[in-house]
Amino acid sequence: MLKKLLRRSYRNKKVNSEKSSEEEIKLNESNINSNLNKTVDSFKTIYSYPDNQDVVLRNIHISGSNKKAAILFINTITNAKSIEDYVISPLLQNQDSSKQIDEIITVQSLQTKNKISEIVTHINNGNAALFVEGENKAYLLGATNFEGRNVEKAENENVVKGSKEAFNEKSATNISLIRKRIKSESLVVESLIISKRSKNDLFIVYEKDLVNDKLLQNVKDRVNALDVDAIQNLSLLEQQIEERKYSIFPTILYTERPDRAASFIEDGYIVLLMDNSPDSLVLPATFWSFYHTSEDHYLRFPYGNFTRFLRILALFISLFTSSLYVAVVTFHAEMVPPDLLLAIAATREKVPFPAAIEVFIMEIAFELIREAGLRVPSPIGPTIGIVGALILGQAAVQANIVSPIVVIIVALGGLSSFAIGDISMNFTVRIGRLLLLFAASFMGLYGITALFTMAIFYMVSIKSFGVPYLSPLTPNYKSSKDTIFRRVLQKETFRPGYLKPKDMTKR
Amino acid sequence: MQIRKNASKFTVFLFILLFLCGCWDQKEVEELAYVIAVGIDKAEDHENRVKISYLIANPEAGSTAEGGGSQEPPREIISFEADDFISSKNLANTVITKHVTYDLLRMIIVSEDFARDENFIRWIYDATKSMEIRRDIRLLVSKEDTATFLQNNKPVLETRPHEYFEKILDIGNEIGTTPPSELNTFFRITEADADLFLGIYGTTEKGEKKESDGDPDEITAGEFKYEGETNTTQFVGSAVFKEGKMIDTLTIEETRLSYLLNPTLKPGFFLGTFPDPFDDKYRIVTRIEANGPLKFDMKLNGGNKPSIHVKIPLLLEVMSNHSMTDYPKDAKKRKKLKESLKEDITRKFEDFVKKTQEEYKTEPFGWSLIARKQFGTIKAWENFDWMKTYPGMKIEVSVQLKLGKFGRQSDLPRLEEVRD
Amino acid sequence: MEQSKQLIGIKEYIAIVILMIGTKLSDDTPAILFEQIKNAGWMAPIINGIIAIIPIYLLMKVVGNYKDKSLAEVTDHLFGKFFGFIILFTLLVVAFCATIVDTAIYTDIIGTMYFTKTPTIIIYGILIVVCAYGARRGFEQIGSAAWTVFPYLQVSLLLALILSIREGNTAFLFPLFGPGPWEIAKESSLRLSIYADFFYLFLFFPLIKSKKDFIKGTWLGLVFIVLNIAIFMTCFVFLFDYKTIMQLSYPYHEVIRTISMGFLTNMETFFLPFWLIASFVRFSIYLYINALLIGHLFRIRHFEYLIPSLATLIVFLGLIPESPTFTIFNLKEKILLIATPLFFFLPVLMWVVAMFKGEFKHANKKKRK
Repeated sequence: MLKKLLRRSYRNKKVNSEKSSEEEIKLNESNINSNLNKTVDSFKTIYSYPDNQDVVLRNIHISGSNKKAAILFINTITNAKSIEDYVISPLLQNQDSSKQIDEIITVQSLQTKNKISEIVTHINNGNAALFVEGENKAYLLGATNFEGRNVEKAENENVVKGSKEAFNEKSATNISLIRKRIKSESLVVESLIISKRSKNDLFIVYEKDLVNDKLLQNVKDRVNALDVDAIQNLSLLEQQIEERKYSIFPTILYTERPDRAASFIEDGYIVLLMDNSPDSLVLPATFWSFYHTSEDHYLRFPYGNFTRFLRILALFISLFTSSLYVAVVTFHAEMVPPDLLLAIAATREKVPFPAAIEVFIMEIAFELIREAGLRVPSPIGPTIGIVGALILGQAAVQANIVSPIVVIIVALGGLSSFAIGDISMNFTVRIGRLLLLFAASFMGLYGITALFTMAIFYMVSIKSFGVPYLSPLTPNYKSSKDTIFRRVLQKETFRPGYLKPKDMTKR
Repeated sequence: MQIRKNASKFTVFLFILLFLCGCWDQKEVEELAYVIAVGIDKAEDHENRVKISYLIANPEAGSTAEGGGSQEPPREIISFEADDFISSKNLANTVITKHVTYDLLRMIIVSEDFARDENFIRWIYDATKSMEIRRDIRLLVSKEDTATFLQNNKPVLETRPHEYFEKILDIGNEIGTTPPSELNTFFRITEADADLFLGIYGTTEKGEKKESDGDPDEITAGEFKYEGETNTTQFVGSAVFKEGKMIDTLTIEETRLSYLLNPTLKPGFFLGTFPDPFDDKYRIVTRIEANGPLKFDMKLNGGNKPSIHVKIPLLLEVMSNHSMTDYPKDAKKRKKLKESLKEDITRKFEDFVKKTQEEYKTEPFGWSLIARKQFGTIKAWENFDWMKTYPGMKIEVSVQLKLGKFGRQSDLPRLEEVRD
Repeated sequence: MEQSKQLIGIKEYIAIVILMIGTKLSDDTPAILFEQIKNAGWMAPIINGIIAIIPIYLLMKVVGNYKDKSLAEVTDHLFGKFFGFIILFTLLVVAFCATIVDTAIYTDIIGTMYFTKTPTIIIYGILIVVCAYGARRGFEQIGSAAWTVFPYLQVSLLLALILSIREGNTAFLFPLFGPGPWEIAKESSLRLSIYADFFYLFLFFPLIKSKKDFIKGTWLGLVFIVLNIAIFMTCFVFLFDYKTIMQLSYPYHEVIRTISMGFLTNMETFFLPFWLIASFVRFSIYLYINALLIGHLFRIRHFEYLIPSLATLIVFLGLIPESPTFTIFNLKEKILLIATPLFFFLPVLMWVVAMFKGEFKHANKKKRK
């Protein structure tokens, strides 16, 4: 039912998207006229001037050559000051009639275009267009100035040791952050327009002498095959290009750390950047890339592996504690050592619910606290935490709604899930935990194992852009064996073989 | 698309199915009555029935956790007649409010009367049928009725019954007052039909103490005299089973000897006393432990009378010196002490072995396992018939004694000097 | 990137081989061996392992002679369409029966040892659903899954081994020759077909990355399995003595019920998941083999689609026998006895036919060219 509805709504959307008037298309395809007035008029219609508040059209008179001219730009995304200083005033003050336009203007970048659609794209990107009487081309003056944040600290992927920079919403900044780390001429930043209406730019970043051409082509094909009006940012793009849309396992890595993105590029991965996305997409991604963090390699070998150990432990704890508790308490009570079993039985004596329901209540409560804590305005955030965790848990136990052991179990599982830093993998673990809990309450350990085995079968069959999800563990590829544990840096001499990079060795 | 649609429908269906059923083996822990010990007695009139006693633990006793904890007593005991101790689980529910489970079963207690019965083995084999009953639980023989035994048993400190049984049997094992007595071993020995099985022997009734001025270890259940505010239950010595039937009891000392003679058991250390060779009035306290594995020299297949020679390496530490003999300085005295101890110990071993040969006609030491190595095939071994041959065997025991430390402070003042 | 070509490496292959055959130590196969050979039962896997070298070697010669041809295609090629069909059909019947019997046994193990009150159909259903799901993913995925879980399964086995050796008694191994050397040799060679699965492995020949990997993997797998089963059967004897062990239907499960580690006195539910995973993987392979054979026999290209219906059929056939612990036990023994000559003589026959047809020379010539 639900699916049908969804599908129907998809279809409706498609119908809407076809609606773009033929006139407009015609206008966009044509070249500009040497008659200034006509040109200006057509641009006025394109930009709905003067209804459109931030579109600025200024007519000037070039005193040297005695020509009329007009400048068009959108002042919210253009640096008006630099246009004033480097374009308008030189033009007005010029007295030399022999000088060409491009000799007068002192702005950094200058292009000429004559197709209206191209000019429009440039204006939309924050450039100013200069039309001169009698010339059938427009001068495009680079003065882009989108508003945005500065480079700030990473919010989600914190590290103690290592760079603190994070991507921000400006792709130019992001590219600069990557270039700062890879000072190489072989680093290529390709740009593509991926949406029809909003004309969103996508930057494909890779090292041309490392990346596998087939992989690159695969990514490009998939991006080019997109047929949508707008893709605001990478989070949406991720969902557009991933292979298994219903799967609970993520197949594209999403990182906000330029150092992480850079190290992936150096291994032959491909990184996607977009405006408005304070992050990057790394593809293809394997299970391990979600499990790792950049700090694992910044810390010394034993420390790094210690955190890895903690993380794999946390992964299993958060996946299995609540389901194991339910399975053991309701199906395999004989497994528990007698003292503990009697203790559990004693605390459960007055609890009105079956163990499975009890754990479910607590799990849901925990997820609610978590979700609410995320959404509340930050000043009262900590309060929610205290109210939720302390008072709710304590009161629930005192009221004999849940037994104290369940609070421990659920809190332990919930807490451990925070150790998995990647947000997508985090969701995978949390959903997985609930599924396992279901399985456990029906068939105990048999249910858990059956589900777990199916999950393994599923995981090994996932492919992200042709790369098996669990490689290099299986299928085996030549690599630095950086899976559950990492090796000493000096021994990590290979790039991951599953990417088939052009250069396998790192030295 | 069609397949995916069907698949999703199927999954939903499966989930509903799971919701509807999936509770067969489910049992909530608080809805179970945990039987810690089962007692089995002869039924009074019926030949084919037994009297079952349950010792059920109350999980709430002693719990300080929030939500748990109450003033209820730590245990519940019920005795009734039933066909066997499997179906009795249901019968018990006429009185007990929760499902009876054997998940935490630690002991099967059998009264001596029942254990000496021919039919005992039929009932005890029920334990192999029930899934919940584990093969590593212990078998205990009580001198009196098991119902009386359980009721009289009122531990003062370890009030929670599972804890009590676990602790007291472990300590008995360690210091050699009781045999390990696992049900698993009982079945194995009964099936192998060669050795004797030693079960734990216990009682809650104080018997008459045998008037013997000798060794305080020569006692069995009910003979240990003690006073004070404590439990009346004692676990002392062992019950001897032959072919699945109890035939005799062993004293603490004999139990210890059989520990030391058994190659499969790893005994801890035992404290024991021996007469002082320098003064008959006193006894020397010693701490004995095995000093390496037993060495066997068996000649079974030759034409002559089969013979076994056992070498028992022992490490002995002298813990007291009431005669105040000067051992540290005088090597001769030490030698004499060693000789005398060795003689004593060897005599004890020999006496005990002789007793097994004459009275029991087979041994509780698990020697048949060693003997098996001499045979190529099962047929040959079965033809040899250990049980028949054993009483006629020539068995020599030799003790290799090593004197260890003489206590923390090895030297003592001259008595004469002190009294001077 | 090249999309999956369904080729698997040596690691995955070894994992498949061991999980497929080595898992037998945890069902009633040891019980079958112990029943006749008593405490010398542990020798049977070794003796059989040595005998099994002959058919495996011959088969390797024959199948290895052709590149990228599986056992099924080679059979067709050697014996012609008609006889090839008959032989493969017999193989299919044996495989299918074995799958039914074995899944029924595993269901019975779960039902009697762990989930006593749950209806058989539910246990069976879940088992088969998981296996069918696994088999449906394809051979490469089964291999990957097998390799992913393999180390953990081995660790759990090793732990069980250590714990049981600690509690066992080596003296139980004696008298060394149990019922007598001749008896051992006879009874164990009659049950050679505990390794018959090796025969079916040759169906996967073209699915392994290289011929060398296949040969190496098969031999390594054989050695590993023989050691695994033999060591474990020794261990069973250590723990139970021969009189008791002859009465146990599922020795492995009795072992894990008996051993304890420190304060954890009841370990069996700790080992249960590992064993379950191994069984799931094992039957996924069995299902896949069945589907593969049917696909070949009846010219069905996308034989993966057969798996769900095949699985359903297995459940219903497997549910038929009453009091499965005994019936199936006997059934399995019969299958073992029937399959033994098949496993031994078919490779010999194939080799002889190939010899007469001059296939080996043919191949040599090709190589020289």
